[in-house]
Formats: sequence, C-alpha cells, structure tokens
Amino acid sequence: MSQRVNPYLKQDLLEFGVKDWNECFHCGNCTATCPLTEDGSLFPRKAIRQAQMGLKLSLEANVDPWLCYYCGDCSETCPRDANPGELMMSLRRYLTSVYDWTGLSKLFYTKKSWELIFIFIFGFAVILLFLLFPQHDTLVGLVNQQGGVKINTFAPIKIIEFGDWTMAAIVGGLLISNILRMWYKTILKPRVSVPFLMYFVTSWNLIFQFGTQAKFSKCDKKSRVYWLSHWLLMSGYVIMFAVVVVFLPQFQTEEIHEWYHWQRLLGYYATFGLLVGLTVMLVGRIKKSGMKFMFSHASDWLFIIMLLLTTITGILVHFFRIYGLVEATYYTYILHLAVLTPMIFVEVPFSKWSHLAYRPFAIYFDNLKKAAIAKQYKSKLATAA
Amino acid sequence: MEETRIGVYVCWCGTNIAKMVDVEDVAREAGKLPNVAIAKDYKYMCSDPGQDLIIKDIKEHNLDRIVVSACSPRIHELTFRKALENAGLNPYMFEMANIREHDSWVHTDRAEATAKAKALISGAINRVKWHESLEKRSVDVHPATLIIGGGISGISAALEIADSGKKVFLIEKTDALGGTAAKLDLTFPYMYSAQQMIQPKIKKTNNHEHVEVLYNSELKDLSGYIGNFEAEVNQNGKEIKIEFGNIIVATGLKSFDPSVIDNYGYGKFSNVVTSLEFEEMLLSGNILTKEGREPEHIAIIHCVGSRNQDFHEYCSRNCCMTALKYSNQISSALPNSNIYQAYADMRAFGKGCEELYTKTSRKNVIFLMFDQKKGMPTIKKASLKDNFEMLIEMDEKLSGESVEVPADLVILMVGVEKQEKAKEIGQTVGISLCGNSFYIEKHPKLDPVATTTDGVYVVGSCQSPKDIPDSISQANAAAARILATINKGSVTVEVTTAEVNEDMCCGCQTCISVCPYTAISFDEEKKVSIVNEVLCKGCGTCGSACPTGAIKSKHFTDQQILSQIEGLMFKSFELQEV
Repeated sequence: MSQRVNPYLKQDLLEFGVKDWNECFHCGNCTATCPLTEDGSLFPRKAIRQAQMGLKLSLEANVDPWLCYYCGDCSETCPRDANPGELMMSLRRYLTSVYDWTGLSKLFYTKKSWELIFIFIFGFAVILLFLLFPQHDTLVGLVNQQGGVKINTFAPIKIIEFGDWTMAAIVGGLLISNILRMWYKTILKPRVSVPFLMYFVTSWNLIFQFGTQAKFSKCDKKSRVYWLSHWLLMSGYVIMFAVVVVFLPQFQTEEIHEWYHWQRLLGYYATFGLLVGLTVMLVGRIKKSGMKFMFSHASDWLFIIMLLLTTITGILVHFFRIYGLVEATYYTYILHLAVLTPMIFVEVPFSKWSHLAYRPFAIYFDNLKKAAIAKQYKSKLATAA
Repeated sequence: MEETRIGVYVCWCGTNIAKMVDVEDVAREAGKLPNVAIAKDYKYMCSDPGQDLIIKDIKEHNLDRIVVSACSPRIHELTFRKALENAGLNPYMFEMANIREHDSWVHTDRAEATAKAKALISGAINRVKWHESLEKRSVDVHPATLIIGGGISGISAALEIADSGKKVFLIEKTDALGGTAAKLDLTFPYMYSAQQMIQPKIKKTNNHEHVEVLYNSELKDLSGYIGNFEAEVNQNGKEIKIEFGNIIVATGLKSFDPSVIDNYGYGKFSNVVTSLEFEEMLLSGNILTKEGREPEHIAIIHCVGSRNQDFHEYCSRNCCMTALKYSNQISSALPNSNIYQAYADMRAFGKGCEELYTKTSRKNVIFLMFDQKKGMPTIKKASLKDNFEMLIEMDEKLSGESVEVPADLVILMVGVEKQEKAKEIGQTVGISLCGNSFYIEKHPKLDPVATTTDGVYVVGSCQSPKDIPDSISQANAAAARILATINKGSVTVEVTTAEVNEDMCCGCQTCISVCPYTAISFDEEKKVSIVNEVLCKGCGTCGSACPTGAIKSKHFTDQQILSQIEGLMFKSFELQEV
C-alpha cells in the first residue's frame, strides 16, 4: 500500500516537542549504539524516517517510541545532532494524543495553559465540595483517645470511597478505551495478522514488564540508578493507589496503629519510593544531567510538581493527625485531595502518566507483531519448500 | 661483444624490500654473474648517499653500465638516469629491476621472493649489456596557444596565458563566451552569483590585446607537433590558418536529454523541467508553473541520466549540490512551499559542500532516497480531487515504504555528457575518449591535465564532469604548463622512438595503419615509411607489426628483450628447493 508523503505532519509533531530531527541522514549510529536494539530492527531510526517523511499511518502504527527509555546515548553520539532520543520522547507525547479519542491529550500537550486551567478547575471543585457539604460544623472535640485526629468524622470513609471508585472508573474507562484504540492503530488497521493464540502466550510478558520494568533495566545498564529510582517510584505509586482505592477502609482508620502495623509500613514504603524517584527526577531536570534530562517539556515539570505536592500534603496529613492538630489536618487533607484528584484526571488518561499503561502494552503489541512476522516467515519457507 | 663492466645495486627500501627479500644474498649472488664488476646492497639507493655511491663506483671501478634493483621505474628511473649523467655515462646505459612492487610487496614467502629477485636482476643485467647510447633532442616552441572552447575553463586559461604577454587564439562555436556557467543563476555552495563572476571575465577576454576570440568557429584540421602546430579554422564558412605551439581543449559539456526516460514524462508534463531550465527561471526572478501559479509542492529528482547502467554510469558531480542550492533558493523565494529531494545518494565532497548539506537538512526539506537499480521514481498525473498537479510514485529506500509525493513543479537534475562533436575534435587534435566519452588524460592521478599527445591539454568538463573551481584549477594548471614550455623556448622530445631501416622496408605501410599517434608517413619517392620522431611515443606497435623487421624500437630492440628473457631463465639462478 502506498502512502502519501505529508509535509505538514512535521508541524504537528513539532508541537509535541522542542527539537527538530530533520538533520538525520540515516547513518544508523543510533541503532548501533542503542542498548535496546534487537537483531534486524531499525530502532529508533525507523520512527525518525517516518517523522521526516510525514508517513502518518506508519507512525501511528509504530510502538517503537514506547520501547525507548531515553538513556540518551543516541542523542549524545549522533553525528548530526539530530536528537533521536528527544524525538522518541516527543513521539510518545504525539502517540498519546493519537490514542486519545477525546482530543484533550492534544490540547494539554500543545497548549500548556489548558492543562493548568483543567487542574485548577478540578482542584477548586474538590475544595468547593468540602465547603458546600461540610460533614461537621465545629472543629472541636475531634481527637480520639490516642490523641490523634479523627479523620472519618470530617471525611467519612463511605463518601471518599465512593469518590475514589468513581474516579477509578472514569479514568480506567478512558485508559482502556485508549488502549483499545492503540490496539486498533497498531495491529488492526495495518492488518497485522497475529496468530490468535499469541494474544494469550505473550500476555504474561505484559504483567512481567509492568512489575519489573526489565526493559528499562536493560537500557540503564551503566548504573541502574534511573531504573531503580523509577521502579521505587512506580511501586510506591501502585501501592499507594491500591491502598487508597481498594483498601481505603483498612487505610483510613480512626484508630492510629503502631508504626510497625502493615498499614503504616506500606504507607511508609510508598512514600519513600515516591520521594526517592521524585528527587532523582527533580535534581536531574534542574541540573540537566545527561541527555535524558536535557530538554524538559512543560508536562514533565507539571508531572513532578503535582506528584511532589500530593506526596508532601500526604505526609503532612499523616503527621498533623498523629499530633492531634485538627484544623491543620483537615485543611491539608482538603489540599491533598485538591492536588491528587486533578493530577489523576489529567495526567493518567491524557498526559504523561498514561505511559504506565502504554509502555507495557507497547511491548505486548510489539511481541504480537513479531509473532505475526515469524508466522509469515514460516509460511514463506513452507511455500518455498 | 666487448667486455662490459656492470655495477649492480640492490636496494633495501628500508624494510619494504629487505623484509621479504634477502637483499645481501641477492647482491652476493649477482656479483658472481658474468660481466658484473661490482654488486652492492644499500638501505636507500634513491637517497643522495645512495646515488653518490653509484657515481663514486662508476669513476673508481670504471663501470660502463648500471643495474639498480629497487622500486618501480615509474618512480625512480629518472633519478638514477640523472645520476649516470652526473657520472659522465649516457643515461640510457641503465636498467631497473623492480623487486618491490613486483616482488616484496606481493609475496609472502621470503625464499621464493628472494629467488624471484635474483631472476629479475639477472634479466636486467642481461638486458643492460645490449643498451645503446641515445641522445636527447629538443624542438623550438611557437609562443602562441590555441584554446578550443570559450566556457569558464577556456576563458580562465586564455586570460592566464595572455596576461603573461603571450598570444592566445580562442575559438568558440557560438556567438558568445561563457559556456554553461553563463547560464547559471547562483553557484553552490556559497551562493555567489555566476553572472557577477563570469561577466567581467568575458569582458576582459574580449578586450584583451593578446587574446583573439574567433566566434562561430570550428577547428577543421590540425597538423604538426608540440611547439609547431598549424590549424585550419572555419569561421562562418571562411577558412583561417593559424600557427601556435600548444593546444588547450576546453570543449565543455552537454546536458543530458531526459526525454529518453519515460518515467519522468519530460515533454509530456509541462511542469517537469530540467535543472538548466530552472536556472533560467531563477535568472528571470520568478518561480512559477507554466500556468503562472506559485508552486506549493516542488520535487527535485536527482541522478537523471547519471549513475545508471542504462544511461551513464558515472556521477555528474554537480547535480547534488545544485539541487541543495535550489532548496535554499526556493525556500527563500517561496517560504511556504514544500520541497522534496528524491535522491539516490547524497554526494557532498567539495569544499563547503558538506556544510551546505547540513545547512539544508536543517530546513524544511524532505529527503527521499531511491534505489536506481530497483527502479526510478515515476511521475503521474494527480487525480482531480487533489489540489496539486502531479504525483511521484517511488520506493523510498530508507523507510522501505512505497510512497507518493505531491508535486506542482518537478526539477530533473540532468547529468553531464560529452559535447556532440567531442569525438571529431578529439580525432583532429589526436586525443582519445575513454569509455565514459570524456577525453583521456595522460595519467589519471599524476598528470590529469596533459594528454598522450605532447602539447595538447584537456581542461574543464570535457575531461570529466566538474564544478567551476575545479575547472578553473585545471585551466590554470594547463596555462602554467604551457607558459613553462614557452618560457623555456624548447621542449625535449622522446628519444626511445621507432626507427625505420630503409634498406629493409618493403613499403607495405602496415606500420602507418597501426600507429596510434599518426607519427609515420610514407615517402613516395623512396617508397619507404618515415617516422616523425617528435610525434612518436615509442609504443612499439609498428615494430611488432612490421613484417620484414625493418622497424627498430630504440631502447626496446629484439636483442635487448630476448636477452632479458634469457637472463630471467639463467641456470645459476634456478629457483631454490622450496
């Protein structure tokens, strides 16, 4: 099938990143230097070519950008300063907007102010809800016998849990619909004939990659600092998410447990993971240490700031509660939710956080594509024989 | 044969020879051969102390012939002949045995290589015994020069020679000077205006007191030899006779006619133009389609007629950079246009050219690569619903995808070919065309300006496709060579020529028909062939063709060659058991 060269796609792509890649003359240095290149693949050069030529369909079907973890070796050694690494980063943003059917992703990525406006609207809505429907008139006598602040009196578990599940359903629904679109764009539309059984055979890898991020560790071979800090952040975040959504009744208790109780230990681990990951990212981006952190998009900063604010307000709620500071606990709790809610709504389905789903699914779809090619090759051999 | 005293010198060439050949053993063995008075080995024979060693030995040991076994005679034969001359010997009493290129560099077995060196030296010793003294000769040089072609190369050479006060005849077939360069707008890579560079030169040439420009002229006939040429020039049907000492051929190029390539639809689509037609468009100041619209999509197709088995195998050298120049000019003139470069390979080797490529890559230009062997792009008419005129279908090599490229204007980067009359002109002046139809130079590396005919030089794109700086460099080099011979007043001519023994010549004229240099003529009175020793290059073709053995090639006599072969087979140098 012949595709039309589209010179205008470049302008669209440039809106998602900061660097031009037109200087690339396809020497293949990036492919040679990339620790993730596999035999016979043109990673990451293939995506550069598609971007240069404006091959929209091929680019939309390409999951390569998700397989890159941005070690930056390609950009560092590129003889033409064409910045392949940054292109892959920009393409991840572009692909997020391609998978998203609402159009919000493109809006947030290409017009910074819109993302901020959405975040403020959601934040104020949360604050407004607390102000309009106060659960308790006075802020006195809300300390339990241990001296801790009674949190459920102020924010009853049933209401918060309802809110949590609603949020999870909306965000999950959006994400799942976008993953289905990713499947359509990468497998169905280009007519990749995947052997049906392979959908199940390769699915274990999806879970494995999500849990271990083994591919990232292969990319970060030199020190594994980035892999480890990212893994801590990811695991902390997943634990925290599970705890505040699924196990909220066990987590938001009136009684304050001993520090070695599982509830508190899990919370501490998650906080530790988040703080380590965030520190590495923040310091890296401020210092611009290495290619990985050289170019920061507005969405990168927003992601770090929102998560940091959520973590800090969470920590504060925890300590204010223990020390029985009623007003401080309540106001910080509101603030915590006013940061957390818009972060989840904006970042997870539409922006940077969507990669938590797209990356493992990209590996999954890539494996499906490989299986299809292997099958094609085998049948070719069979007909030749 | 009287007793001769031969000196044999075996060179180590540092380790180049000594590593693979036991030079000391070779020298020792050579010393035992008949007539060898002295045999020595030395680290570097070509060095001053090495040459002094030979000179000293000639005087002390009364040597009359010398054999040096070292590198190729191409490199140092003249060096050692000079040394013999300095010692008072005739320089032709010398023979060189090549034990480096023919031996040490190409063998891996030391014993075998040593044996081969001995055989080669034995051959050289046997040959040098029969060498005869030959005397150098020289002819006077007429100070005028003929230049054929008034393009940038011809003009440059003419001005260079004329500025030194020597007469130049410049013959130009059209009624204007400047050639192809005068048809260009800007030049790559620095975007200088071609007109601003060439027009002052044309004016200067026309007004120069020592340049006689003959417009609408063609060379009809040429006779004579280096230093003393005579030509008949046809100017508008009028015959002019001129005399001169040297010739510069600067007949330039013709651009490839793309209508023979069906894929490109040149002549069928009105908006498919050649690069030279696009230059005209640029000179006029408007980039427009035939319908008078500003094109939105402009595609540039490279290698039209070049680097293709079906047309010309060679690279035309200028087109890649010209195409990049177009990108820059178009994006300045029409900033909203889309430019596509369909290329086979990007060649950016000249000064400032890689920089131009880098600069252009940063612009909004889409580079698309095609593989000439797997099929060229095809231009088709776009469908009615498209808002552009043509579609170029091609297999893009780097992405592996079949793509369609929209186009309102297509520029074909046509290649360079020889002038229509290149062959006739070559025959008239006595130079030949190589496979690519460009004139052959004397040596592709060591002498790219001269030809095998002394006094005839080739410059510019008639020798190979060239850009302006390369053409001017070559033109000025030819001018310098010619001025050097004019300044000297005379030139030494080849002495290793053929010689006819008139008593033995039967007058069959076979030699005349085989001579590649038209150096042999027939004396009707005596009914024998006569060799013009100035034109003869000593190639030996006539000598081997002569049925009666009347022609002797000096320095390559039958006796010399047979003796050398005999020497190679000499018993005492039989290959050792290996």
